[in-house]
Amino acid sequence: MTEAAIEVRSLSKWFGEVVAINNLDLGIGPGVTGLLGPNGAGKTTFIKVALGLYRPSRGSVRVFGEAPRGNLDLARRVAYCPESDRFYDNMTGYEFIFWMNRYAGMDAAAARKSAEDACARMHMSGRMHDLIATYSRGMRQRINLAQALSRPCDLLFLDEPLAGLDPEGREEMFALIRTLGSEGRTVVVSSHILYEIERVTNSMVLLHKGRIVATGEVRHIRDLIDGHPHAVTIECRQARTIAEHFVHDEATLGIEFLPKAVTIRTSAPNAFYKKLNGLVIDEGLDVESVRCPDDNLQAVFDYLVTK
Amino acid sequence: MKAIVSEDITVEGHHKVRDFVRCLGASCSHALVLSLRRRRTILAAGVALTPALIPVLMAFWSSGPFAQNGFRVFVILMEMVYLRAMAPLMALFFACMLIGEEVESQTIHYVLTRPVPRLAWVSGKFLGYLVAGTLVLLPSAALTFAGCLALGSFPVSWASIILWLHYSGVLVMALLGYGAFCMFLGAVVRKPVVIGIVVFFGWQRAAMLAPGVVDFLTIEKYLAALLPKLAAERRDPVISAILSTHQKREILVGAFKAGMALLIIAAALVALTALVVRVREYRTERSVKG
Repeated sequence: MTEAAIEVRSLSKWFGEVVAINNLDLGIGPGVTGLLGPNGAGKTTFIKVALGLYRPSRGSVRVFGEAPRGNLDLARRVAYCPESDRFYDNMTGYEFIFWMNRYAGMDAAAARKSAEDACARMHMSGRMHDLIATYSRGMRQRINLAQALSRPCDLLFLDEPLAGLDPEGREEMFALIRTLGSEGRTVVVSSHILYEIERVTNSMVLLHKGRIVATGEVRHIRDLIDGHPHAVTIECRQARTIAEHFVHDEATLGIEFLPKAVTIRTSAPNAFYKKLNGLVIDEGLDVESVRCPDDNLQAVFDYLVTK
Repeated sequence: MKAIVSEDITVEGHHKVRDFVRCLGASCSHALVLSLRRRRTILAAGVALTPALIPVLMAFWSSGPFAQNGFRVFVILMEMVYLRAMAPLMALFFACMLIGEEVESQTIHYVLTRPVPRLAWVSGKFLGYLVAGTLVLLPSAALTFAGCLALGSFPVSWASIILWLHYSGVLVMALLGYGAFCMFLGAVVRKPVVIGIVVFFGWQRAAMLAPGVVDFLTIEKYLAALLPKLAAERRDPVISAILSTHQKREILVGAFKAGMALLIIAAALVALTALVVRVREYRTERSVKG
């Protein structure tokens, strides 16, 4: 049996009267594990407790057999890509990663080299010396990921890592996460989109209102998700072109135009994403981001709760 | 066997010291870079330079029998403007946001998830502030000194230069004391600047005049003791009269004790800030929702 990297026993965390996570029992081993749940499910809180940023209100969490809070030795083995993409705006992307590497204990030369490599890995070399304030949302997310990947680690937490990435970036990220998992690291990826989790792992934990609803293989809830419309918002100057390609699809349930964006509701998300990726490459579309509103998964949870 | 264990402990201790020093250096450089790049630093430098204009304007407008005494103007500007107003303002300007801004912008989570000794991080930030504050304030004090020399009755001599260096040293001590307090405020409350203004310009003024020994709970008390000539010996006659009616028994502090007190206050506040950073969870609205 593989030793669990994260062991959680009767873990609860509340903030005042708000119960963020409620009596979780969980073991997460090496490889990629998806944390799936709508906003407010407790994904971020769970990650922050496991990182030692929050202390448990009740129960315990052990990471590689140790309590994470205030544990600097453990912090050397753990990397984190937060959901928030707020940085020191008067810095460049390269400088941000450089300073984070310095805090991670690297000397100046190693921090510089590692920052350059991380930027290159995330295809940010061309813009890494520009101020972060001038970056698009996708670029900020790439820098956010680069700072997490710029130092060696055994455990990596990625909180909504694909938010705001363009289709090309998402594909690269899927491949990268799978590679990191296959190298023997423990990678925890949170998302409110089943499709994203499905692309990187078959192992997931389904959270809802702070509780574990299900753990195991992704395909167990695949059918439930497919029964519900899946909304995708694409930020793109050529939003009308995209809509034209999907308007006649049988799976398309609705199209809504927004300023510089379009939201498409589909009943076949896998086919939709495949077609969208092909379209972006073939037509050379300038897609800034692809976002999935939170109501996809919420619809399934509402269904499960009322069932 | 015991010797090997002891050696291991020593090596581990050396590693911890090395990590601490490395983090302290990184944090100090990072804080300094952040401070010097902000647009508001240019504004702060502009504000800090305004007192330097006073002797220049005086030299330009005063003439003949109304000519000002350069020495007197310099002492008044250093004590009333720089030490009482500029140093606290610079501390509010720079030190309140050292931790507060990291919390507000959520960048603190990037730092706290790395193997960073909290005391090293906080101390490094504080040192960075001290260097930035000194770089902003001391050139202005130097210009003021030069302006006052030009006013006359203040000869260029070793005694004058030593006086200027003395005041510059006290100014750095003021940045140290006020800055440590502001950084602590920034780590524990949401509106540190407002509370800082109330404490520095309200509480300090009142405590310095109130009877009893409450003035020991101010930074100004210790700064006054560091001045070239004890402030108590050249008090404002009006304030002296008020004090005498309240029969305030002022206990004077020597310069050495005052300097030590300021260093201890600053060290204690930096350590307290590190403790707060270690204990607090710095949750966001988003986290509270899960």
